[in-house]
Amino acid sequence: MIRWSIKSLFAEGIGVVASCFGVAFAFLLVMFFSAIFAGESDRITAYPKQVNADVWVMQKGVANMHMAMSQLWDWKEDRIRLIEGVKSTESILYLNAVINAGGRAWFTYIVGLTGRAEYSGPWAMHSGKRLPNRGEVVIPDVLARLTGLTIGDSMQIVDHTFSIVGLSSGAFSMANSIVFVSYDDLADIMSAQGMVSYVMVRANEGVNAEQLAMRIHNELEKVNALPQKVFIENDHHMAMQMGVEIIVLMTMIGSALALVIVAFTSHAFISRKKRDLAIAKAVGFRSRHIYTSVLIQAMVLTLAGFVLAGLFALLLFPMITVFAPEISLQVTLGSLTEIGITALLVAALAALWPARQVAKVDPLSVFHG
Amino acid sequence: MRRFKNEPARVLFMVISIASVITVVLVLEGFREGIYQQIRNMIFNRGADVIVSQAGVSNMIASRSILPQLSRLAIEEIDGVVNAHPLTTLPIIYNNDDRRTPVFILVYDTLGGPGLIEKGRGIKEAREIVIDKSLSVIYGLEPGDEFIVSDFNFRVAGISKNTAAFFAPFAFATYDDLIDLYFESDIVGDLSTLPLLSFLLVEIKPGYDARKIATAIEKKLPEVDAYLPEIFAQNDVQMSRSMLGAVFQLMIVIAYVICVLVISLIMFSAIQNRKYELAVCKAMGFTLPRLAAGVLLETLLITLIAIPVANVLAYLLAQLIQEVVPVYLVLSSEPGPVIRTLIASLLFALLGALLSLRAVARLDPVMAFRN
Repeated sequence: MIRWSIKSLFAEGIGVVASCFGVAFAFLLVMFFSAIFAGESDRITAYPKQVNADVWVMQKGVANMHMAMSQLWDWKEDRIRLIEGVKSTESILYLNAVINAGGRAWFTYIVGLTGRAEYSGPWAMHSGKRLPNRGEVVIPDVLARLTGLTIGDSMQIVDHTFSIVGLSSGAFSMANSIVFVSYDDLADIMSAQGMVSYVMVRANEGVNAEQLAMRIHNELEKVNALPQKVFIENDHHMAMQMGVEIIVLMTMIGSALALVIVAFTSHAFISRKKRDLAIAKAVGFRSRHIYTSVLIQAMVLTLAGFVLAGLFALLLFPMITVFAPEISLQVTLGSLTEIGITALLVAALAALWPARQVAKVDPLSVFHG
Repeated sequence: MRRFKNEPARVLFMVISIASVITVVLVLEGFREGIYQQIRNMIFNRGADVIVSQAGVSNMIASRSILPQLSRLAIEEIDGVVNAHPLTTLPIIYNNDDRRTPVFILVYDTLGGPGLIEKGRGIKEAREIVIDKSLSVIYGLEPGDEFIVSDFNFRVAGISKNTAAFFAPFAFATYDDLIDLYFESDIVGDLSTLPLLSFLLVEIKPGYDARKIATAIEKKLPEVDAYLPEIFAQNDVQMSRSMLGAVFQLMIVIAYVICVLVISLIMFSAIQNRKYELAVCKAMGFTLPRLAAGVLLETLLITLIAIPVANVLAYLLAQLIQEVVPVYLVLSSEPGPVIRTLIASLLFALLGALLSLRAVARLDPVMAFRN
């Protein structure tokens, strides 16, 4: 019975193909949505990850970087440097701002670098100078490509004009492209001379980051000190939490769509095969055999759609990021598992209506002609 | 029409299937429109005729603007200006229950406060705050509850509605409490480096031209920029378009691909069900274009029935989303996107029907005599 149902389902040709593709695109929509949140959440933490400090020190009450505002007196960095276990420190000023370039407005993180920027500056360069002096700016290569700007061009940040001296790699993101300027320029823009936003601390070998963070926290007033891992997790979790409800809702919408498609395909198939099903019932197949075959049919359709969606995601997502570099997509095993489980649920629910139809098939109808 | 009468369940299923896909498109369009509308609301609901910002700052969302304290006085001296109301934006990360949410605190004095308060009341006493509904939903906060920012205890006075934009909710506080927050929370030693005045909401006398007043402000104070609210809103919308335009476009494209596939699946299935009838028609001499016209007409009819159903479904879904995640506004019934979706749906429906026409073309008229 099961073999018959699967064989005859695939004998439907273009209808089944359209159905599988329909289900696949419904799941692809869900995958795309969660991949965007995962991708952006990952990009949001690109800067702290690359800096790779052991401990991040910031204003009291602040515990992350994304959309946060932190200010500390710069002398606190000198104090931190004297704390036991500290190997080196670097500090930055940091500002969220909208910059206008190439006729479009871009939400950016502006990082003001001090003269000592061994690890707080751009971590990879496409071309040009890595560390900006006064009046100079280093922008992401993708931003340059999207805006048509290049080295030597000028751009406006708040009320200051900067000359582009370098293009960094890996610093572009839809939600937070990172633009590097000199500390003095950013301090002017922010009216924040003598302040820093974050101090990045590298520890001596063998020093535990958590203990060092605690030590800094205890020795300095009005600061928060967090190990790199916690600092990054805070940003990542916040970004994911911002999207969690909407991802669930989009998953429900996409799954409902898949459910309707699978239910319609099974319903249409059973409507056409009523006569065959009546024969099956007449020759002694029990209803539960037929229900199982309907359920398996729905499962096959849904899983085929799910696998196709996965393949599309593998194929299309890298292409999307090439053609639309502002989009960052990341498919995680967790989200795939969630969508996979949802797919099974979709199949079970989609089989309900066709199963009801099967129950109504009268074995005698086979003799009615 | 005859099929609708003879097989109502089947036709209903077809209509629901097509309506579901169109619903998804309408909801996605509604999301996009909602994001832009929230941004416009954020600016327009502040009630200013002219908005003054730091020179070079042309956005309110996600921008830091610091104005000199004396600029207020200087602007109020300009002929035609009734008042320049201060407004400060303070971005914070609200942390509670192991969950973090970025919140924009709008600190206001005489203009620019929360508009519609759904629960509780506006700020009347010290240390009170009005929070957006989404914060109330996420953290289960009600009027009277504590709302702690950097160790400073606010008490929730009211829950406001439609006060979120760009994925972040707003909260509203007064200047007295902002100063207390800065001092009591011991955030930083020097108060002058913290945002005290971000924007000025300029109210002008009736009969005066806002454009001319904006020009006069910029002329008198070179360290500031003055914008009409619509220009400010346009700048913020443009910024969000730069960020999200491609994402929404892609999702809508995917939804339309599903639309084409679903319609081709439905029409293919309809053709399969009637293949003997169609074979008879072919045997009787009906030409392929004539049969194809029938299929296309049927598709258009079903899609036309599905569109209003989709509109109702999208509206209900939008209400549900706004209840569950009030930080979003889903405008699924805006005329522009609805008309765009209607036209696109009909076109894609025709495309879907064309894909299924191959099945009609391949029908063998001899089949009519076999069964």
